[in-house]
Amino acid sequence: MMAVITAPLAAFLIGLTVSVYLLIKARDASGEDGTIGILNASMGFSAVGIMGSGWTWSIHNSMLVGSSSMCATEGLVQCGSVIGDPQWNNLFGIPWGLIGIASFALIWFLILSLRMDLHAKWASKYVDLLYYVSLAGVPFVLWLVIVELTMVEGAPHICPYCTVIHAALLGTVASAYYLRERKNTGSWS
Amino acid sequence: MSRRRAKSLPRGKDEDVRTIAGLLTAGIISLVVVISVILAPIPQVGPEEGNQAPDFIAESYNGASWSEYRLSDNYDWDWNGSSESEWFLIQFIDTDCPYCWTEGQEMSQLHSQWGDRVNFVTIAAQLNIPNHDSNKDEVEAFRDKTSYFGCNSDRDDCSDRPGTAHNWPYVDDGANTILGNWELSGTPFTAILEPDGTVAWNKNKHQGEGGDGEDVASALQRLVGGQ
Repeated sequence: MMAVITAPLAAFLIGLTVSVYLLIKARDASGEDGTIGILNASMGFSAVGIMGSGWTWSIHNSMLVGSSSMCATEGLVQCGSVIGDPQWNNLFGIPWGLIGIASFALIWFLILSLRMDLHAKWASKYVDLLYYVSLAGVPFVLWLVIVELTMVEGAPHICPYCTVIHAALLGTVASAYYLRERKNTGSWS
Repeated sequence: MSRRRAKSLPRGKDEDVRTIAGLLTAGIISLVVVISVILAPIPQVGPEEGNQAPDFIAESYNGASWSEYRLSDNYDWDWNGSSESEWFLIQFIDTDCPYCWTEGQEMSQLHSQWGDRVNFVTIAAQLNIPNHDSNKDEVEAFRDKTSYFGCNSDRDDCSDRPGTAHNWPYVDDGANTILGNWELSGTPFTAILEPDGTVAWNKNKHQGEGGDGEDVASALQRLVGGQ
């Protein structure tokens, strides 16, 4: 098991853990401090999502021309049969990693805008947008989990980096939910 | 009468921070993309010569049964250009295509000549043309030269196909997925791959408009040599 946890994976897991901690801490905090805390947590989740997506895209590119040293290619927990699968590693020819980078970039932009100006006129609209954009990723996460568990060559497999990105998205959805709740109940600031 | 002072709501900043947020986001994403590409450059994948051949996983018939076949599982990724690793001859057909029907003879001859140094793989697509209605039974019969009426646009029994029975994998591409990934619109088509999956020869480049006219046999002689 320890062999599976490489340095990049450990860094992503630490990023997720810190983000979860920030979210739990900020969730019950009142006023502007709580809102900023949740925004910080969601920035952590989306940063992990962006970097994790970049990493899986690199694995994807390296696997097109052979095996990759960036992730295990054997066993239950591995990337080879998931990111390396020509049938399932893309959406209409676009690698999932690249789709992840683009999606988390949009999420990051919305969060950063809110973080930079909590009281902007567009803040309510951006909170709603953040919630719906992150929520739109959930069906894709479910689909990809089904793919890696049942459809890829030699299934089931669990791709650790993909799982990190899925967790980052779910963390973003939770953060967006709490932000929206704060906005709607008047406890934003 | 007492006057109540209205509680003022916090106001946003005077400047629109979204431009700065957008620029910061673009910068971060650019950095991530650059680092990702440095870690693993984007390979050129496609049917053009010099590119990595589009990989596929599909059902393949080996003469006895259908099983999952992945093209890249057979590559020699460490091929250095000089080893005795096997090359690949990829052929796309439609069992109802008249040119594929006659090409059966040439493929038999090529295999008898090069089969020990070249992996032959035939991909059976189903072109969207009237009377081109293939199925797995027809693919089996086309490969094995067994009796099944329906080959060659439903004009012939598959056992009458020119050439001998083919004893290499026939891959089912009834949905034309592999055909599409190889950017093909018709059959027959052949390509020769190096042992590591790099496209070394593409029929459309040589026999199409402006090509040098080199045929697959000459290309095999030039590339694989030794015959």
